Amino acid sequence: MEIMRLVVTGPVGAGKSTFIRTVSEIEVVDTDRSATDETAELKKKTTVAFDFGRLQFGPETALHLYGTPGQSRFDFMWDILIRQAHAYVLLVAAHRPHEFRYARRIASFMNQRRNIPMIMGVTHVDSPEAWDPENIAIALGYLDPQTRPPIINVNANEEASVAQAIIALVQHSMQSCPT
Amino acid sequence: MNGERNFYIWFRQGQLVAAADRLDGQGLLAMIHRRGWLSTRAATRITEVCAVDQPAGLCLKSQGILDAEQLKLLFRSQVLQQICNLFTIQEGQFQFNSKAELPNSEMTGLSAPAKEVTLAGLRALQDWSILRSKLPEPTSGLVSTVNHGGQLRLSQLEAQVWEFTKGTVSLEAIAQQLQISTEKIQQVAFRLIVVGLAEEVPLIVEPPMSSFDMEPEFLLDQPVYVNAIGQSDNQDQVSQSFLQNLVSFLKGKA
Repeated sequence: MEIMRLVVTGPVGAGKSTFIRTVSEIEVVDTDRSATDETAELKKKTTVAFDFGRLQFGPETALHLYGTPGQSRFDFMWDILIRQAHAYVLLVAAHRPHEFRYARRIASFMNQRRNIPMIMGVTHVDSPEAWDPENIAIALGYLDPQTRPPIINVNANEEASVAQAIIALVQHSMQSCPT
Repeated sequence: MNGERNFYIWFRQGQLVAAADRLDGQGLLAMIHRRGWLSTRAATRITEVCAVDQPAGLCLKSQGILDAEQLKLLFRSQVLQQICNLFTIQEGQFQFNSKAELPNSEMTGLSAPAKEVTLAGLRALQDWSILRSKLPEPTSGLVSTVNHGGQLRLSQLEAQVWEFTKGTVSLEAIAQQLQISTEKIQQVAFRLIVVGLAEEVPLIVEPPMSSFDMEPEFLLDQPVYVNAIGQSDNQDQVSQSFLQNLVSFLKGKA
């Protein structure tokens, strides 16, 4: 089975879980919820939480989607996910500028570990409070339009929009993929 | 910004040439007057006879009224004061006017790169309360974003912190090593980040062993989990045909 692993990351509320749920053909495995369904003691202790979705598009080919843990601390699970990923999408809510700094830290964390293709998916662009994607890119430290990652608007609730974002990421990956 | 205060910074070819909190063109002359070097009236008279496009500072220098050191002092004071003020504003709105005319009466004739001025402005900042929430986390490390920090003149402490920009040591550990408060190190790190020399990078928080014990069993079915623990980076690449098929499949949904 040939599998491509995509990581979907971003601050809380950027739409990671929705993004995966919208496109996954299986019911998304939410490890956080499963863990918290156990005893209160388990809930208190567990630190593992990520979403998992899958899209099989051939008998031997599938896309796996992993959403990063919701908590703000960067633990071993982040490390595992990024080290196994082929590419990732950083989701940023355009109307929550106070989260940009955290999104920047995520990108920095990811980029330090792996040099893999990434795109920036901007959600909530229709909000009156939304920042222009160009300015979000600058806030995230991507000052040079020539070297920054592709930026795409995403509606995490719409399958077509999510598919378009993944296409953008895959096509970006194709540019750096050995033939 | 409180809605009543405006700050103006003028650039020429990417270099900062003047700063003021007024638009009447009297800021620089007022500074000269305050230092007792020349009365505002006399300075105004002299600069009136200078060339139209000549900065007031250079004009006064050519007339032998001010020397090069005084101009440097004026420029530093004029620019630092305004930039420092900007860092203490809770909320503000930024507007860039690419067609603004250069204010010769506010100009000393000197200029400086924005990064250099930013660095100096942050060094001079006393009250960090507004920026406190923007400082890098004490548990984060720093990674350099340039090969060397030589583009800007760093202070001794900045240079010391710069030595730790390999993304392996937390700011609180740096503070301990240098025997300086963590907050001070956070401020230094912030300066390095703002001028583009370094980037904050979160360090991994090691999980308690019990976290592994608490793993929900179904997680073990996930290939990434089973394969990843204790192993190095993902080495298997997906083929071009795989990617092309995936794009074709997704286009049916898009």
